Amino acid sequence: MKLLIIEDEKSLREDVIEYLTENKYSCDFASTVKSGMMKLTETKYSCALVDLGLPDGSGIEVVEFIKSKYPEMGIIIITAANSLEDKLQGLKIGADDYLTKPFHLSELSARIYSVLRRRNFGGKNVLSFDDLEIDTTEKKVIANGSQMQLTKKEYDILVYLASNPTHLITKEALAEAIWGDKAEMAATFDFVYSQIKNLKKKLNEAGLKDYIKVVYGMGYKFKD
Amino acid sequence: MKLLTKTNIYNSVATVVLFTVGVFVVLKLILIKLDSEQEEQFLQAKEIIIKSLKEGKSANNFLSNIGEKIVITEIYKQTSFKNNFREYEQEIIEDGEGEEEVDVRELNFQCTINDKAYSISVSKSLSEGREIVEYIFGIVVLFILIAIIFLFVLNTFISELVFSPFYDTLSKIKTWNIKKNEPLIFKKTNIDEFHLLNDSIEALTQQIQSDYKHLKEFTENVSHEAQTPLSIISTKIENLMQEDNYNQKQHEAIQHIYQATQRLYKLNQVLILMSRIENKQYVSTEKVSINKLIEEKIVELEDFIEAKQITVNTQFNVEIEKELNAVLFNILLNNLFINAIKYNLDEGGTIKVVVNNDSFSIENTSSIEKIDKRFIFERFTKSSTSASLGVGLSLIKKIIDFYNWHISYSHKEDSHKFKIYM
Repeated sequence: MKLLIIEDEKSLREDVIEYLTENKYSCDFASTVKSGMMKLTETKYSCALVDLGLPDGSGIEVVEFIKSKYPEMGIIIITAANSLEDKLQGLKIGADDYLTKPFHLSELSARIYSVLRRRNFGGKNVLSFDDLEIDTTEKKVIANGSQMQLTKKEYDILVYLASNPTHLITKEALAEAIWGDKAEMAATFDFVYSQIKNLKKKLNEAGLKDYIKVVYGMGYKFKD
Repeated sequence: MKLLTKTNIYNSVATVVLFTVGVFVVLKLILIKLDSEQEEQFLQAKEIIIKSLKEGKSANNFLSNIGEKIVITEIYKQTSFKNNFREYEQEIIEDGEGEEEVDVRELNFQCTINDKAYSISVSKSLSEGREIVEYIFGIVVLFILIAIIFLFVLNTFISELVFSPFYDTLSKIKTWNIKKNEPLIFKKTNIDEFHLLNDSIEALTQQIQSDYKHLKEFTENVSHEAQTPLSIISTKIENLMQEDNYNQKQHEAIQHIYQATQRLYKLNQVLILMSRIENKQYVSTEKVSINKLIEEKIVELEDFIEAKQITVNTQFNVEIEKELNAVLFNILLNNLFINAIKYNLDEGGTIKVVVNNDSFSIENTSSIEKIDKRFIFERFTKSSTSASLGVGLSLIKKIIDFYNWHISYSHKEDSHKFKIYM
């Protein structure tokens, strides 16, 4: 799965690439509108991450370019300002998703996964591990061949963790992904902790191996 | 009291006092003059009577000259050499008109002519002179009344004319809003003091406006510019966290840096949101039911409400429908409810939501003491027991201000109540 990252902030770009590479994506990058378009014509990508504020123009141009030439490609817009207008404009011209800086790398990875899934790249709608299968189209979790009963939040957490395998997911990132603008509250109540506890218990009861590891004080890891 | 009313009252009182005193002084002077005039007439009459008696004429002959009553009595011997004046009231019976009292003045004197002693009294009615005085008095009072009314009207008119630039200035200052970024332009005036006042206010507001603008821009720029370094810090730490060969100390340090970054990030988000509201970036509207949004919000927050075993009572007296920006209103409700849950009692608290004609209120139990009303909506006021109340409340206030609504806070026993008038 090839991704193109168009971002002028070198330091940030490198971190994104490092993280995504670890998530088994192969990444290319560009730092201007012009070089981005060049890269797009040279190689076929599954998804592009486009920063809107580029030194030689707006990322919107790139989005428009992709939409006209490679309509099957996924697009995620990244911007510094969480401007509603930019967001609406970006989504209107065909971006699949939108992220505001600063974002959690795990969130970015989860969004990429979700865009790719929706666009049905490689027919990969099922996250499958040894004895666990997560069908993200049907929203079903199959453990050792039988369907598990998870609450919506437990399911969301599992998908989020599973789309970032082997990475440490902080409880803040998880709280934000699941509870959105109420993440702060979720953190005060240790909701993440209790949801994970329930999820682990259910996975355990279904006879699965211990996929979710707790990293003390920091967060969680999904280990295959 | 209005400036013009006050000056008018002072002016009127002064005029009335001045004229009243003036009238009485003038009246008194006229009366004194009248008296001395009359005295002279009496003395002249005395001369004439004595002269006539010397010439042996009958007193009746000069009665008409003086026009009043003269009584001449022969006496044995002259005992007095003085002129004695006296005044008394005499009843006169006029034809068919009954009795009338008349002030009469009388001169008594004695004289000896050709060895004969006489006592003579000359009397004269005072009414004629008095009537003239009364008549004059009446006219003067009438004139004065007219003058007072005229002066009052004139004063009011002139004052209004003179003070009109002042009132114009006053009304413009009152409606001036620093956030609107419109310069204050006053009516031209040729009165030096007002001109100076207007100039000073113009200069002052321009200064305030430009300072405010700079401050606002600075906050905006800082919060926007901070996003990129914040993202770099945030992603760097997240990447660092992926490694697991840290000792305890390093582990804790990374954890703390990460949490601090998260806090900084959230603070920055609120600041950006605030400047976006100020810059009117949430102007698109749709018709929404306030009741429905409140109900949805309560459902959305069910997890947290249940976790604290809070009882939520809703009392929807009416259904309010408003044309507003749903994103902004959602932020408002979110902050109000999150505060109501977060600062509620740890167990068994209540939240009461009341929707009335043009207002809704959220009341929650809490162990937090009363918040100082003066600072409650200021950006970084902290309750002694919480860290983030201030930003949430000032965000609420910002949205309320944006819609020109009004919010009130009240505290009763162990409950805090926020009421929003729309």
